[in-house]
Amino acid sequence: MATKYTIQELIVSRAAKELKDREFVVIGQGIAMAAGVLARKTHAPNAVILTEAGLLGIDPFKVPLHIADPTCTRGFTYSCDMIDIFTTILNQGYVDVTFLGVGQIDRYGNMNSSYLGEPGNYATRMTGAGGAPEFIGYAGRAILTMSGGTFVEKLDYFTSPGYLDGGESRYAAGMPAGSGPSVLITTRGVFKFDKVTKEMYLAGLHPGAALDEIRAEVPWDLKIADHLETTPAPTEEEIAILRNFAPDVTMGRKLQLEVVMKQVFNLLSKGA
Amino acid sequence: MRCGKEIRMEKYMDADKRMTAPEAVGRFVNNGESFVFANCLYSMPLALTHELIRQRKKNLMAFQQGGIEEIDQLILSSVIDRVVMAYNFRAGGPRIVTPLDRAIKEGQVVVEEMTNHTLLSMMKAGAMGYPFLPVLPGIKVTDVVQQKGFLGDQRFAGIKDPFTGRDMLVVKGYNPDFALMHVQRADKAGNGQLWGAMINSKWAALAAKKVILSCEEIVDRDVIMSSPHLTIVPSHKVCAVVHCPWGAHPSEVLGHYDYDFPFRALFFGSCANPDAATMWFDEWVHSVADRQEYIEKYVRKFGRDTLDAFRARPFKSVPADYGSTFSLDWDDQGYSKSMGMTMQEFVAMLDGKGALIDGN
Repeated sequence: MATKYTIQELIVSRAAKELKDREFVVIGQGIAMAAGVLARKTHAPNAVILTEAGLLGIDPFKVPLHIADPTCTRGFTYSCDMIDIFTTILNQGYVDVTFLGVGQIDRYGNMNSSYLGEPGNYATRMTGAGGAPEFIGYAGRAILTMSGGTFVEKLDYFTSPGYLDGGESRYAAGMPAGSGPSVLITTRGVFKFDKVTKEMYLAGLHPGAALDEIRAEVPWDLKIADHLETTPAPTEEEIAILRNFAPDVTMGRKLQLEVVMKQVFNLLSKGA
Repeated sequence: MRCGKEIRMEKYMDADKRMTAPEAVGRFVNNGESFVFANCLYSMPLALTHELIRQRKKNLMAFQQGGIEEIDQLILSSVIDRVVMAYNFRAGGPRIVTPLDRAIKEGQVVVEEMTNHTLLSMMKAGAMGYPFLPVLPGIKVTDVVQQKGFLGDQRFAGIKDPFTGRDMLVVKGYNPDFALMHVQRADKAGNGQLWGAMINSKWAALAAKKVILSCEEIVDRDVIMSSPHLTIVPSHKVCAVVHCPWGAHPSEVLGHYDYDFPFRALFFGSCANPDAATMWFDEWVHSVADRQEYIEKYVRKFGRDTLDAFRARPFKSVPADYGSTFSLDWDDQGYSKSMGMTMQEFVAMLDGKGALIDGN
């Protein structure tokens, strides 16, 4: 019997397959970083990982807490700064792909990572834009993952440009030809974008996921591919790599919070 | 004069700017000023941040590239009322209400949203003394550009490229009144050396009118002289040098210590209710005089082993060799190979050619 896996492991393993060997990839943290590193440890050993902290060619030994922590800086090939990453590297076309997590997304792949709630009276400030708008704007393509985020008809706040109003509108607004989100991987399936209209459609289902569940999450009349792929389960090798490298990602945020709280409790009991 | 206090930066290499954190913040920070964190995520100047809180500074405006706990701490202690920011870590999902969420809702703080690239470009323009700087224009369709905060139109503008006529997006340059910065080592004049993730440090430090610098280690100027490539902020920008081991805890400093995640989580956990937050500040900020007392308290409370577990193991950089022959033109016999003559012959030549002046 095949090894059981968590939903995060499935998402990471599917996302990792999108990265090709020798590509330059800009990555944030969490699932996105786990996917990039998994790809490097399997089929893409020469992929070059960059973070906007000014680090190029990193080889993290465990999944970083943030894009500049010591797991990223034990050996890397180019120490520059954040302006250099956005200008001399991204703006000059060296970044083939970016991996990013999604908070809110609309049918054309436009994203919100800034605010939730009513415009003008927001309830929640999420992490904010960070580097996402420029990376999604200017990287060759964007690989998106979403676990805990939502599909919406209209974003509460428009942080990062997907295909704007669809069609050619993204390129008319000045973003590089051919760039844009290429795939979105959620907890239930895999979504891609129509070549002409740029509207998101369902391209595949994860094992055990039902079409109804996906339709219930998407507030517009979602288009479905004629042939839906089934996402392959992560291999034993992939699972072993992930549990060693990224147990935080494997267990997901909710369990991670429980584990952290237990650690805090341990710390406090030392002080008692 | 801005705030009744004139700051004259001592730019000479023989200056000794060493002082305590209370003295540095007391002398160089005035209520109502703007400041920038000249570290982002990594090597955070948290001892200096706590000193702002301890001295109950008010109405400060922060430029924050990317933060973890410091913005929430400054909000909870009513030090800042304006923030220009690109990214701020969220502990927990959208259902948890953070101090920042609450402060925005209640109008205690106003936020200007930027992206990492455009916020740092504001600093880079300011650092270079330019009024504005071009940025990647693709984001002009987003709410980051379209929705204006408290800076209004003093942030983004559209101009024409004077050479091609194409539309460009630019950001305004800013020079915050001061920067807080933490580095691995500095000399007493304030030449600060940082390695690891450089992120925003160079441009934020150079944009600020003055830099309050804390460091893990004070070193002799010879150390700086042999490794100038590591100097991220030169002494002419620095007004105070604070020797402050563990000055970035619970964030990390390469070569010294790793991040302390459980301690961090302790703060975030205490943010859930105001009483717990007050207790956290009393315990870790107000009831200690400085960072040394903070660390002593940490060791008393959690044990030395807990702290020692975060100490870095070495991963040495191969030293750069700045060597040359280091020789004068003149050899041991007083002969110059390059000119083909001795010192005596050299002086005779100068005299013979009428190049020597008799001033008597």
